[in-house]
Amino acid sequence: MGTVSQDELYMRAAAEFGPALARLAKAYEADASQRLDLLQDIHLALWRSFSSFAGQCSLRTWVYRVAHNVGISRRVRRRVAKLISLEELADLESAESPEDAAHAAHALERLQGLIRKLKPPDDQVMLLYLEDMDAVAIGEITGLSSRAVATRIHRVKLLLSRHFRQGETS
Amino acid sequence: MTDIKTIWQTQTTEDNEMITLTEIRSRASGLKARVQWRNLALYAYSMANIAITAWLISTGHHKAYMRYEVPGLLLVAAHLFVIWQVWWRTSVRAMPGDLIGRAALDYLRHQLERQRNALSSAWLWYIAPFMPGLIWELWMRANLHPHGVAPDIDRALVLFLVLSAAFFWIAVGFAFAWGAARLDLRLERLNTLKAE
Repeated sequence: MGTVSQDELYMRAAAEFGPALARLAKAYEADASQRLDLLQDIHLALWRSFSSFAGQCSLRTWVYRVAHNVGISRRVRRRVAKLISLEELADLESAESPEDAAHAAHALERLQGLIRKLKPPDDQVMLLYLEDMDAVAIGEITGLSSRAVATRIHRVKLLLSRHFRQGETS
Repeated sequence: MTDIKTIWQTQTTEDNEMITLTEIRSRASGLKARVQWRNLALYAYSMANIAITAWLISTGHHKAYMRYEVPGLLLVAAHLFVIWQVWWRTSVRAMPGDLIGRAALDYLRHQLERQRNALSSAWLWYIAPFMPGLIWELWMRANLHPHGVAPDIDRALVLFLVLSAAFFWIAVGFAFAWGAARLDLRLERLNTLKAE
């Protein structure tokens, strides 16, 4: 694949999925400078990856795979805190009361806090679920079977319903 | 209706402007330059070692710094071999180009397997290369019997040296084996996840 194609693919991907990539970086990194660094790493990996992209999967799947793999590498390398599974997180009693979704800023902070506690691939399933992906797409990106994805989505929904009162405001 | 998914997807991000190709290329060049500098430092260290040892031996100055040139050279060669192995095992070229675009579990497994294989074979590429020079040097030291040192003290010194070397290298071997076992455990968990 020539440089032009690589550049074009990158531009297309960045235009279409840029905001989602920024949300992913925000979920993984609380610190603003670390977040920007992660985001730039993701964009660089994405641009480089397009030299070996030959339509193995959809552009969306490829972009999310690359972004999540960069995120995994960084989290594994940094190991800031002990990461836990969705099951373990659900077992932890929340000190706070369920968040009203109307308080968007606080709800977002709390949601990002939950994601940062999760280990791969549970964090990825939660992020992709929030991006409104279906089980098949999540399976393609994470490599989990559809059954495993379905189980995790169920746990994600339970967890979210415990932490957030949804659909109550207009 | 506002639900958590909507809140998530409509959140404001200060970093969501598209990063330009110029910035991407500049970051790629920076990364390449860092790798080149690291390699250059490794080569410089290796070349300095070879040059100093060659000069010491060719001029006969080695007698003042190292008593036995052959085991000394073997240890230098072992250092060079290990440096090369570390560089080769950590370089990006050992990674398939499309790896980053694989499903997350496959990507993580590949990374963990690569690290596990490096650790579990460390006795071969990290420990074994030092053994000929070390054993040779210890054997020569055991047969040195320097003047002015009582035989009992000399034997105790030799025993201390042998035990220290054995303890050090066994500890290194255990550290690698422990690291490999931990990675095996993580790989097992990944396999369980994959089989779900």
